[in-house]
Amino acid sequence: MPPHPRDPLNRRLFLQVAGLTTLTGLAAACGGERPGRRAAAASAVPLSRPTSPATLPLHADVPAVASGLEPEKGGTLKLLNYAEYISPDVCKAFGKEHGVEVEVTVFTTMDEMIAKLRTAGEGFDVCFPTPDVIAKAAVGKLLQPLNASYLPHLAGVWPQLRDPFYDKGSRYTVPYNAYTSGIGYRADRVKSLPSNGYDLLWDAAYKGKSYVIDDAREGLALAMLRNGVTDINTEDPAKIKQAGAWLAELIPRTGVKVGISAYQLVAEGQATVHHCWSGDMINAQAYLPKGVDAEVLGYWYPDASLGVVGTDTMAVPRNATKPVLAHMFIDHLLDPKVAEQNFSYTGYQPALTAITPEKMVTDGFVTEQLKSTIVTPDVYARSLQILQISPPAEALWNDAWAAFKAGR
Amino acid sequence: MRVTGRATARRGVARTGLWAALAAPGTLWLLALFAVPFYAVAAVAFGYTDPLFNAPIPEWDPRYWDVTTFGEVVQRSLTGDLRPVFLRTLLYVGVALTVCVLIGYPVAYYLARHAGRRKGLLLALVLAPWWINYITRMLAWLNLLQDDGYVNDLLMAGHLISEPVRWLSGNPYTVILALVYGYIPFFIVPLFSTLDRVDERLLEAARDLGCTGARAFWHVTLPLSRHGLMTAAAITALPMFGDYYTTTLVSGSPTTTMVGNQIEFYLLGGSRKELGASLVLILSALLMALMAYYLIATRRAERDLT
Amino acid sequence: MTTHDVRRHEHPPRGPRPRVREERSRRRAVRRGPVVLATLTWLYVAWSLLPVLVAVQFSFNAGRSRSTWQGFSLRWYAGDPASVAADPGLHTALVNSLVLAALTTLVATPLGVALAIGLARWRGRTGRAAGGLMLLPLATPEIVMGSALYLVFTNLYLFVPLGRPAMVLGHVTFSVSYVVIIVRSRLASIGDEYETAARDLGASRLQALRLVVLPLLTPAVFASAMIVFASSMDDFVISAFLSPDASSVTVPIKLYSAVRTAPTPALNALATLLLAASALALVLAWLVLRRRGSTAALRDMASM
Repeated sequence: MPPHPRDPLNRRLFLQVAGLTTLTGLAAACGGERPGRRAAAASAVPLSRPTSPATLPLHADVPAVASGLEPEKGGTLKLLNYAEYISPDVCKAFGKEHGVEVEVTVFTTMDEMIAKLRTAGEGFDVCFPTPDVIAKAAVGKLLQPLNASYLPHLAGVWPQLRDPFYDKGSRYTVPYNAYTSGIGYRADRVKSLPSNGYDLLWDAAYKGKSYVIDDAREGLALAMLRNGVTDINTEDPAKIKQAGAWLAELIPRTGVKVGISAYQLVAEGQATVHHCWSGDMINAQAYLPKGVDAEVLGYWYPDASLGVVGTDTMAVPRNATKPVLAHMFIDHLLDPKVAEQNFSYTGYQPALTAITPEKMVTDGFVTEQLKSTIVTPDVYARSLQILQISPPAEALWNDAWAAFKAGR
Repeated sequence: MRVTGRATARRGVARTGLWAALAAPGTLWLLALFAVPFYAVAAVAFGYTDPLFNAPIPEWDPRYWDVTTFGEVVQRSLTGDLRPVFLRTLLYVGVALTVCVLIGYPVAYYLARHAGRRKGLLLALVLAPWWINYITRMLAWLNLLQDDGYVNDLLMAGHLISEPVRWLSGNPYTVILALVYGYIPFFIVPLFSTLDRVDERLLEAARDLGCTGARAFWHVTLPLSRHGLMTAAAITALPMFGDYYTTTLVSGSPTTTMVGNQIEFYLLGGSRKELGASLVLILSALLMALMAYYLIATRRAERDLT
Repeated sequence: MTTHDVRRHEHPPRGPRPRVREERSRRRAVRRGPVVLATLTWLYVAWSLLPVLVAVQFSFNAGRSRSTWQGFSLRWYAGDPASVAADPGLHTALVNSLVLAALTTLVATPLGVALAIGLARWRGRTGRAAGGLMLLPLATPEIVMGSALYLVFTNLYLFVPLGRPAMVLGHVTFSVSYVVIIVRSRLASIGDEYETAARDLGASRLQALRLVVLPLLTPAVFASAMIVFASSMDDFVISAFLSPDASSVTVPIKLYSAVRTAPTPALNALATLLLAASALALVLAWLVLRRRGSTAALRDMASM
């Protein structure tokens, strides 16, 4: 039955949310009447920040899988991931070893991933959320707690991500990759690199050939950073609107497009300038047409604190049908050997201590030109991150982004 | 007399019973999977959102309907960011439809009246795209319109342009041409059926009465095909209004966003489904108004003929 | 009463017309028209079909490009790790499309035929209302129907899981009306004389329907089944809204998402295979309908 705002089922959700509010020690401003839209629970989700780490709540009805179980056999292990973000060979090899099909369902935005996780009846086994949605996914019971006994390779991840601020104690997630958000470009077509590399996107010379990442938070953060605003997790409507206005300048100026396949578009020359993730430019080396030198690929990332660094994580959705195998798959990806193989396909750097920047260069993963794609602990420490914000603020970001996408 | 009458009446009821029974499964199907879903759109549009995910909680009871979001969408459609989207959609569909008429009418006319022995072959060729997957046909143009694709090669070889045209970079002409290309088979075919049914003898009569070919066309064929023309226009325009994949594939730029793109964004990509549902309602209302106009106009066209 | 109705009684509906005599009597001034029109028509045909042929050509490209020809190869069909044969995602899509179209045809055709016969004779207000309801899906853009079905399956009919079950229900919903339209127009051209004759000879209404009307309807039923199959294969929007994961992806969805993320000529290969399949189906249909003369058969298919 559909929940009625006044029926007990809904009230239970309401009480839960209210309960969580007190649990996280934050005040909730809810009235007694019908839970209106976007009312109250704004602060029910812990807003983790590097300075105020959050421990995500556990739920009695969402237990972690027991230790020492045999992995499930047969059928399909269902992954929910970005396109081209995991090596098909790694999946195939794992599937062969355990007698299952490994199937990847793709999404383009985190909102879409959350929507898919919320669809009743869909049992995805592993998903790849970014830190800004983990808290609400955990509070909303979309994820199940991990059982570390199945994850021996967890010891090999970056120390700063072993007990990360967004998920103290790694209750729900383990790190997958680290990347920065910068500007990928064709060095042979960009006349000169401005000191503020973000200006490349605002340069009318690349009209029809420039792209912004198709993601509300990333896109609007880009506009803020270009204009020197570092408050990329703001909930201030005016600031969000201003970011949208800055971004909208691109429409008449460059006829900007949105997309997340910089690896192909820049390599093939359909994009000259592409706001992208660092891994895309590493990956782009594999997409270059025959006869085109890898030196033509460039990636700009700011030296100062005006850059975005991100990490992706791996988690097991609550209604996974193969939770034990899902844990084993996650651990498999944390195995440095496998991670390196996966890296050579996706171009995204695993957040493992075994894979050092020096190794990436000496192993020939990146050209000299693309050294700036490497995420070092120093880069991670000085950069900004896109973090969880309250649902009402999320709606504001979403609306500003939709207004940009509407064009003028 | 009375007995016969009652018998007839009873037979009438029995007959209706059989026909109603035959029609029942289909009708119930459409009620459950067409009418009810529409109500669900309204229930979501006028419903609530859960405070955690901004996900919709439909409100099935109209007494509790909340029109705040709907009002917001109406307001944004009239004065805000959605206004250019609606105007752009109207413009694209309008231009694309005009091009469809300009290309489609002569083709259908030739096919119906002058194709002669080649009629079968031509008809088969004109029908062919009908059977080819829409996305496949768009993919075909994506190959051709690349910067180094055949279209630019051809234009460069003919010295019509000096550097490649960026067809696929938010170019509204590309979007309109893609729409025409995608939907014109649906325009030509119904128009052809109408023109094919125009009675030759009426034209002969017109000529016998001294009409030139052009005047016979103007005074006989065109009025007789008005109904078919309007049907073809409706069949073509309605799906164009809801199209979002064509512009995504051949442009992908905010400069060419159509209403369908925003609906898709809110319902599948974004997290404000109640807003997407409101947009669906507004688009449906707009199209219903157009349909009503179509019905009135065709009825008038038919009345004029008889 | 419309002019077509008048004609229908005076002429056999799809018989030959005295075109030859007419053509001969045409004056020179009129002649110029057909040349221009003929050129335009052939240009149109070229414009509508050449791009597809180019797409087929690039499915045989030896390189990765979809715009620069680099020699002939079958690598995108088999051999390359991204080829149709090697990429399990591409087969899954092909199988899903075929199964979905077959199931849709199996459900929508009988449902539509019954509805058409029923509506053609069901008088009264309810009958008219049902007739109106039947027409609405034809006038509804796919995105409206797709989002409505998506919202109803995720909020009300929770017992129908997204994926193949929901997709079949959705496809049948938009297909039924096609069947009704085609079968009803055939019913109208048959008229009710045969049925009355059968009744006079002592057949019950059901017998008359089964023994007389249904056989006469066969070509229309077949034609509508073809249309349903083709439109189900073609559908992108409704499938996209109702497909929750990779296991239920159909060919159009696969093409669409791959074009946006990492297009290769393997997509052209997949499209070519699909093209070959529908060409085969079409030839089959034509062979069945040909018994009534090729042009008439084509015209029948056109009038759908």
